[in-house]
Amino acid sequence: MGLVTEKLPIFLEPVPGGSVLLASMDKLINWARLNSLWPLTFGTSCCAIEVMMATGAPKHDIARFGAEVARPSPRQADVLVIAGTIVKRMAPTLRTLYEQMAEPRYVIATGSCAISGGPFVYGSYSTVRGADEIIPVDVYVPGCPPRPEGYFYGLLTLQKMIREGETLRHPGVRRKPVLAELPPGITMEDIRRDLVHLLEKEARVDLREAENATAESTERLLRSGNSSSLIRSTRD
Amino acid sequence: MTIAIRTLEDLTRPSATPDSPLATQEYFVNMGPQHPSTHGVLKLLLKLDGETVREVIPVLGYVHRGMEKVGEHLGYRQFVHMSDRMDYLSALMNNWAVSRAVETAMKIETNERIETIRTIMAELQRIQSHQLWWGVFGMDLGAFTPFLYGFRDREHVTDILEKTTGARLTMNYIQPGGLMFDLHPDFQKEVKEFIAYFRPKLKEYETLFSENVIVHKRVKGVGVLDAKTAISIGTTGPVLRASGVDYDLRKREPYGMYSKVKFEVALGTTGDTWDRYQVRIEEMKQSLSIIEQLIDNIPEGKTMLMKPGAKIKPPEGISYSHMETARGVLGIMLVSDGKDHRPYRIHLRTPNYNNIWSITHTAPGWRIADLVAILSSLDIVVPDMDR
Repeated sequence: MGLVTEKLPIFLEPVPGGSVLLASMDKLINWARLNSLWPLTFGTSCCAIEVMMATGAPKHDIARFGAEVARPSPRQADVLVIAGTIVKRMAPTLRTLYEQMAEPRYVIATGSCAISGGPFVYGSYSTVRGADEIIPVDVYVPGCPPRPEGYFYGLLTLQKMIREGETLRHPGVRRKPVLAELPPGITMEDIRRDLVHLLEKEARVDLREAENATAESTERLLRSGNSSSLIRSTRD
Repeated sequence: MTIAIRTLEDLTRPSATPDSPLATQEYFVNMGPQHPSTHGVLKLLLKLDGETVREVIPVLGYVHRGMEKVGEHLGYRQFVHMSDRMDYLSALMNNWAVSRAVETAMKIETNERIETIRTIMAELQRIQSHQLWWGVFGMDLGAFTPFLYGFRDREHVTDILEKTTGARLTMNYIQPGGLMFDLHPDFQKEVKEFIAYFRPKLKEYETLFSENVIVHKRVKGVGVLDAKTAISIGTTGPVLRASGVDYDLRKREPYGMYSKVKFEVALGTTGDTWDRYQVRIEEMKQSLSIIEQLIDNIPEGKTMLMKPGAKIKPPEGISYSHMETARGVLGIMLVSDGKDHRPYRIHLRTPNYNNIWSITHTAPGWRIADLVAILSSLDIVVPDMDR
């Protein structure tokens, strides 16, 4: 009677005079949730163009996945898509936005910056190295920025996670599907240790040496007539 | 000109002329940093009287990534990647500006093929950027159709650029000493197809949006920025040209192939939101004509003049290059100490940083809805502003 029953997680029991729908409550709720994910419009930099805008546009059309209703208010949103770099000044705001969202809430981190700091891992004094330092992240979508297709794959992964996910008896417990595994012989600890080693190497500064070098270079630059003449030529 | 430094006490003092005979109270509202119409994470501190904006104070720094400091840790060729992430809607022009600064320092003379391809690419990106702006401008005024139309046509340019450069947004195509790759064999054919496709679409834009009475009522005479103020703030690009100041680096200090092509600088008269709109629409037409003049005359030659992987170590000194991007003048200053393959110091002069301050002059006296229209007509990109 106009009801599409093929894709519903239900069982149709025929009885005399009609039929009875039998369904598991958990499955029905999860099915409803995964097909109407409302994202929060939260774009900080480049990824926002690809992930928030190009996907909403005619060519890629996110409405096919039921996630086109972008809400500006966190209280009406289900999924927080972190599109872009998070810097230390923005971090408290991001945390507030996440806490304002109603349960169940999901987080997708798109792009290298939101995953690990991306191109700003080394040398930047203000970038947060990955959004998961502030809020829990469910799905990571790599790329700089990811293609719209990449974001859709992330969205489908999130839908898969929700489908297998929470139950009424154990709310808050999420089962995450494993889609990528580490190569044999390498553990997470190894990767973390390497990163820490590199970061420590970058961040160590010999103050006396640095001061001497700076003074010397500045003096040399001031002495060379080259610099002042160049500035003059561009002013003309 | 004197600059009055105001304290918090000055700001909270009530204005002398209340808007209505009713006893209204002035209050402060934060617009942003998470707001759909601030195009990213810009925060505007508004002093409101009812719905009338009395004062706007932009608060920056919500995507300040320390680009200048990051550049000191990277080689010159690597910094081109960083420039992509600054003003991502005119990524190729940012690449070009960095490459030109390095080429000036190294005294590299590029050939005509490289310069022609660079010019065509930059103009394609200018069109792409203005298409996105047109769509978003419509969306900010409350019309959703322009967004769909703008992005439909933008995908055509994105596909052309992607075929040659391999990326949709952050291209990293223009390198010091040349180009990353040669052109795709289909490039010329596709660009010609695009021009034939987009000319009628541009007319459609005008019938749909520019001739709409509601749009006229929303933008005409709103947010007037006079030429004197525009110059004193340091605005550049379409925002300055809409105020009637004929300043376009493509004409003033021609670089690339701009001295050999014929084009006109789009100028406004009064400097209101409508003029800023018209200037950008006119710029799209001029860009199409520039591409048309160059696309059949791409000379033969090498596309990379430096050895791949050769370390760039400019001699001691300062090199500066500036360039007209889709939003205004981008200036890049590189200081080299002559010892390292990394720059000693980088300074970036980005167009949006100056352009945003014009809102402190244009918005007071208008309603919040007008503020959104004015802000959208500035075409801001926040990571470019905060760097």
